[in-house]
Amino acid sequence: MPRQIALNTHISGKFNTELENLRNSVLTMGGEVELQLVDTLRAIKQNNAGLAEKVILNDLKINAMEMQIDEECLRIIARRHPTASDLRLVMMVSKAITDIERMGDEIERIARLVTKNKLPASETIKSSMILIGDRVVQMMRGTFDALARQNENSALEVYDQDNRIDAEYKKLLKYTTGEMQKSTDDMQDWLEVLWALRSLERIGDRCKNICEYVVYLSRGTDVRHSPLENMQQKLKHLS
Amino acid sequence: MLKLFEHETLDVHHLNDEDTAIKVEHLNLRFGQKHVLQDISMSIPKNRITAFIGQSGCGKSTLISAFNRMNDLVADCRYDGSIYIGGRDINGRKENVSQLRTKVGMVFQRPNPFPMSIYDNVCYGLRLQGIRVRRFLDDAVEQSLKEAALWEEVKDRLFESAHILSGGQQQRLVIARALALKPEILLLDEPTSALDPLTTLFIEELMAGLKKRCTIVIVTHNMQQAARVSDYTAFLHQGKLIEYADSDSLFTMPEHKQTEDYITGRYG
Repeated sequence: MPRQIALNTHISGKFNTELENLRNSVLTMGGEVELQLVDTLRAIKQNNAGLAEKVILNDLKINAMEMQIDEECLRIIARRHPTASDLRLVMMVSKAITDIERMGDEIERIARLVTKNKLPASETIKSSMILIGDRVVQMMRGTFDALARQNENSALEVYDQDNRIDAEYKKLLKYTTGEMQKSTDDMQDWLEVLWALRSLERIGDRCKNICEYVVYLSRGTDVRHSPLENMQQKLKHLS
Repeated sequence: MLKLFEHETLDVHHLNDEDTAIKVEHLNLRFGQKHVLQDISMSIPKNRITAFIGQSGCGKSTLISAFNRMNDLVADCRYDGSIYIGGRDINGRKENVSQLRTKVGMVFQRPNPFPMSIYDNVCYGLRLQGIRVRRFLDDAVEQSLKEAALWEEVKDRLFESAHILSGGQQQRLVIARALALKPEILLLDEPTSALDPLTTLFIEELMAGLKKRCTIVIVTHNMQQAARVSDYTAFLHQGKLIEYADSDSLFTMPEHKQTEDYITGRYG
């Protein structure tokens, strides 16, 4: 059965605070990364190199957050010897922040498209890119919301959204390849665009990873590397 | 840069006098021919919990017993070096040991309530000091029992024998008895080794609350307890202070191999 993990019910008040802070820190980091993507998409829309530059600089903050949270996980393991749901929470946080930091790196790569002035001339590609970007932002929001509420059903719903993103990515990739063949002169620029598109798609995959961790946190079941139907079956079997 | 977690740590090797509760300088202690403590120097920070860990016989209990001169009761005990509490060397000949023990309370491994009522246990020390005013004693008993998180459980049976209490309650009663004297320092010598895990956690939580009003020094065989409860940890081995640091550092990246071997359960 899924169990809401009550972080504030330990005899040690300090341990309650430490776990609460740990969870909040991941959400803070997630919120920061989400804002980074929103800013990047705005920079693409407005062709705003200054905003993109800010996003690139801000990635250092995300990296520092990852290190701080990792250190705190280590500290909690060494000093509190967490068990059961507390241990799952610490392990989940430790893994989730790696994915969130990588999301930050992917966003940085997309932002560089603007600072290097390598945005595609085609409006179709640009608008499709923004459309996928908006969907990824939605997926990120859903992921962090599921994480905050430790709700595996919400996590599975968000998980499913990645299929739509993948489908749109493939469609756009096909279109972009067609455009590339028409103008083979600026192949280097096209490659940058392809990398940026790939980065957007990868952020969706990272969100999927975090959704799997949410299921693990809530149910204690490892659903990684399972198709969605199998995951749902597994959870149904458990409830 | 955004700071996600706040952990305040003092550098115990360079503590200023205001932050120091106990300062030990070149302490050597012998029981007969046995050199039990060898050249110990350390500063224990005020209003923090400092844990002493180490194998049996390494000198942990002897060291904290030196903080309120309990070793004086052992025949053949000789020591040199200084221990400063409140800026005064307590090893001095003129030290008033009774007064020192009022200021530096001690709780032992096994709860040792006196064969009298809960109320009389708590105000025992105060009565020894000549305090007889009933109103004062009542207030002191209530406050001490509240600080020891025992008041709610015993407030309706204060005049019943202390021996009817469970082990965990008795240990909290003993802590309340020490607190009634308003000690500046509380020495705890394996205070939870005779208690069950849950009661242990309650006592640990009690310590976390108590450090606001006094400095706590705890000896424990349980490394996990030292990690959970202490702000600073000292590792002793064969009478020597091997490592002394904030508990975060000591339990994540100890400087000395001996400490690492001990806390990771390796044969050193």
